[in-house]
Amino acid sequence: MASSSRIRIRSEEWDRRLHEVQVTKHDLNRLIMDYLVIEGYKSAAEEFCVEANLSPPVDFDSIESRMDIRDALQRGDVEGAITAVNDLNPEILDTNPALYFHLQQQKLIEHIRHGRIAEALQFAQEELAPRGEESPEFLSELERTMALLAFDSSPSVPSGIAELLSPAQRMKTAGEVNAAILESLSQGKEVKLVQLLKLMSWGETMLEERAEFPRVEK
Amino acid sequence: MSVRQSRSASIPIPRTSSSTSPTRNIESVISIPFAPPPPRPRLASAQVIPIAHHHSDDPRASVRGARFGASSVSPTRPSAHSPRTTDPACLSTSSSSSPTLPRARRPSATGPRTPSSNRAVSGLFPPAPAPRTSFTRPAYLEHSALRHLLQTESLPTIAPSRKQGQQRSLSPATDSDDEGSPPPRRATPVPDSSSQMLKLPTRMSESCRHELLSISPDGRDVTYQETLRLFRTAYPIPPACGIYYYEVDILSKGNKGHISIGFAGKDVRLSRLPGWEQNSWGYHGDDGCSFAAEKNGTPFGPTFGTGDTIGCGIDFSTHQAFFTKNGNLIGSVFKDIGKSIDLYPSIGLRHSGEAVRVNFGQEAFRFDIEYHVHQQRLQAWSNIQTTPISSSLVSEDMRPKAKAVEVTEERTKSAINKLVLAYLAHHGYARTARTFQKQLGRPSTDNLLGLDGDMELRTQIVNSVAAGDIDTALAETKKHYPEVLQANEGLMLFKLRCRKFIELLLDATELHKKLKAEEEQIATDDEDEMLMDPPVPTKSHLGTTSKAQAEALNKAIIYGQALLHDYKADKRPEVQTLFNRSVGIVAWHDPIEHGGVAAEVAGPEARVDLANELNQAILRSQGRPAHPTLETIYRHTAVCIQQLGVSGVGAAAFADMQKEFIDA
Repeated sequence: MASSSRIRIRSEEWDRRLHEVQVTKHDLNRLIMDYLVIEGYKSAAEEFCVEANLSPPVDFDSIESRMDIRDALQRGDVEGAITAVNDLNPEILDTNPALYFHLQQQKLIEHIRHGRIAEALQFAQEELAPRGEESPEFLSELERTMALLAFDSSPSVPSGIAELLSPAQRMKTAGEVNAAILESLSQGKEVKLVQLLKLMSWGETMLEERAEFPRVEK
Repeated sequence: MSVRQSRSASIPIPRTSSSTSPTRNIESVISIPFAPPPPRPRLASAQVIPIAHHHSDDPRASVRGARFGASSVSPTRPSAHSPRTTDPACLSTSSSSSPTLPRARRPSATGPRTPSSNRAVSGLFPPAPAPRTSFTRPAYLEHSALRHLLQTESLPTIAPSRKQGQQRSLSPATDSDDEGSPPPRRATPVPDSSSQMLKLPTRMSESCRHELLSISPDGRDVTYQETLRLFRTAYPIPPACGIYYYEVDILSKGNKGHISIGFAGKDVRLSRLPGWEQNSWGYHGDDGCSFAAEKNGTPFGPTFGTGDTIGCGIDFSTHQAFFTKNGNLIGSVFKDIGKSIDLYPSIGLRHSGEAVRVNFGQEAFRFDIEYHVHQQRLQAWSNIQTTPISSSLVSEDMRPKAKAVEVTEERTKSAINKLVLAYLAHHGYARTARTFQKQLGRPSTDNLLGLDGDMELRTQIVNSVAAGDIDTALAETKKHYPEVLQANEGLMLFKLRCRKFIELLLDATELHKKLKAEEEQIATDDEDEMLMDPPVPTKSHLGTTSKAQAEALNKAIIYGQALLHDYKADKRPEVQTLFNRSVGIVAWHDPIEHGGVAAEVAGPEARVDLANELNQAILRSQGRPAHPTLETIYRHTAVCIQQLGVSGVGAAAFADMQKEFIDA
C-alpha cells in the first residue's frame, strides 16, 4: 500500500476516472442552492428553484430577515440588528452569551467610531463591564475595545486595535450572527462549496506527495 | 493476490477438539497445548493475572462453556508435548499461495450491540453444512468513503453501489440532465474498479502458520500443538477502511495468559509475539502492557484472560491502534503504525492451554465499533476542513503558476461566486444567473460567461431540441453558430437531421394512435347510439385523421430518403450506425412503447442527450469548457480522494463526498 515513490497517473487514465465519478446535475444544483441560501442570495435562490425545478430548501422569508440583520450590522446599526434577531427567535441571544457580548462590543465600537464618547463610556460601564467579569475572554476584548478611546484617532494606533474599526470587524460580527441564526434553523452553516474547495485543497496536497496527476484546467 | 474460490475442506488440518465443537463455524479458536513457559521478566509483572484457571468465576466463562461444550476447552489441558521450546515460533510465510478454506457463511454483524446471549444461542446451532468463505462487509465499514472497494475475501467482485437499495442514476461526464429533478438515466457502466478492489482480512492464513498450529476449515479456529506460534491473516488490512477492527475471544488463557493481540507486518519473524519484533505491535494479556517492537512493554490496560473479549483496531487516519476489553474502549496506543508497511491482524500464543477465537465481523462485535467509527469520521472530516483553500483556486489569475495570493475570505467568496455564475450560465439558468449577478453588484462585464444574450440564445436552441423542435434548433444554430454544424464534417448537423427524421416518425405514430382510438370510439358508438353526449369523432373526422396520418408517414419517409441520399456516401461508421438505428425505428408501431433499443433511440432521453451534446458543441465552438468548472472540481476531488484511499491514506476514507455533499 504505502509506497515511497510517486506514481504517475496519465491524463487519459485520470479522465477515465473523472468520467466514472457519480454525480448528477441535480446533485450539483443542490450544492448551488445551498450556497445561495446560506449566503443569503434570496432572489437568486427563488429564481433557481423555478428554473432548476428544485423544491425550496427553506422558507425564503427567513433568508430575507437573516440578510436584513446582516445588512444592519454592516451599516453599523447594532441596536436594529439585536432587535431583529430577537424578533426572529429570542432564544438565539439568550442561549449564546458570547454572541451577545460580541454584539454589545460592536455597539461600543460604533459609539467610538462616531465620537460619542460619553455614550461609549456609559454603555461600557453599565452593560459591558459587568459581563467582562464573567469571563477572561470578554474582559480582554473589552480592554482592547476601550483602548480605542485612548488612541483616539492618532495614526500610531497598533493594528490589533485599529482593526476593530475596519469593515472586517463588522463582517466578522455579522458572520457570527448569521451562523447562529442558521444553527437555530437547524440548517447547515458551513457552505458546502467552501467545504468542497477545502477538501480539494487537502486532497491535492496529500496526493502530490504520492503521485503525479493532472490538475483542473480553469 | 488473486481472488480465490472457496475450496473444499479437504486440507489436512489436525482437528482439535475445539474445532469439532458445534460453534467452530462461528468463531475461531486457537488452543495451545500446554508448554511450560520460560520465566520471562516483565516490567509490569506486578500485574497479577486474575484468573488462574480457565474455568474461573468469570461470568463469561460459563457462557463460553455453554457455547463450546466441554470439548472445546479440552485442548487447554496440559499435554504430553515437549515443554522445552521456549522461543516462540511465528507463522508467516507468503500469503499469496495460501488456500482459502471454506468457512461458514454468517451474515455480518447486524449491529454492534447484539446481546451476547444471541451469540451463545448461535453457538448451539449445529455446524453449518457447507461452509462458505465470504460474509457481508461489517456494518462499521460503511463509514468508509471507499466502502465500495472493500470486499471480504473470495467474494466475487461486487459492483459498487452508492448505497444499498438506492439505485443512483449516474451522470456520465456529459453535463446531462434536462431541467429539474434527477432524470432517469440509463445506467452508465459501473466504475471499473476491479483492479482497485481491496480485500479485507477475514481469516487466519493457512500458510502463515507454523506447522504445529492447526487452523479450522473456516480459518478462524487455530489450535496450538507445541509451543508459541504467531499467526496472522492472509490479507493485510486496506487502509481504505479508515478504521479496521477485529475481536478475539480468549477461550482459555492457560496458565500464564501470554497472549498477544495486535498487528504485524508481512515479514515479521514468526517466532515472536506481536510487539516484540520490529514491525509488530501487540497488547499482552499477562501484564496488560502494550509492546511496539520492544522487549519490555509499556503499561497500557488491564490484563486479560479466559472469558474476555479483546478488541483490536487500527485508525489509519491517525495511524494509531486502539483496544477494547469486553466492549469497553481501553484507549489508543502506538504511533505511526501502518504508515509504511502493510498490516496484518496478528495474534501470538505462547503456552499450551491458550486458546482464542477470532471474529473479523462474521458476527456481532461486543464493542460498539460503528459508533466509534462514526465519531472518528466526524473528527477526521473536521481536521480535513481546517485545510486552507489553496491559493491557486482563488487567484484571479488563472494561470497555473500564478503568484500565490493571500487567501482572504473575500477572495474565496469571489472565487465561489465566479464558479456559481459560470455554472448557471453553462446550464442556461438565465434568470437565476442574471439575478445572482445583480445581487453581487457585479458590473455585467461577464461576457466571458456569455451572460450577454448569448446564454439565452444557446439555452433556447438547446431547449428546442429537448422539446423536439428540431427545425427551430437547426435554423437558429445555422444562423448564430454555423461552425457548430460544420464541425467534424457536419456530424452535428447529421445527428440533428436524424433526430428530425425520428420526430417525423413519432408524429406519424401519434396520429396512428389517435386514429386507432377514434376507430374504437366510433365502433362503441355504433353499438350504443344512446351515448352521444360528448362530441365524438364522426366518420368524416376519422377520414381526416387517417389522411393526416398517411401524410405524416409519407413526410417521414420522404425525409428519410433525402437523408439517405445525402449521407449514403459518408462511410464513417458512426454515421452509418446512427442512420441505421434511426431508420430502424420504422419497424415499430410505437417505438417508445416497445422499449429496448427502439425506445432508447426514439425516447425523450435521447432528445435530452442530443440537446446536451449540442450545448457542449456550442460552448466548445466559443472556446469555453464543455463542463462547468464546478463539476470538474467535484469530479477531480473525488478522483483525488479515491486515489489517496488506495494509496494508503486512511483519512481519505473519512472524506465521504457522497455523505457530505449529496446525501446531506
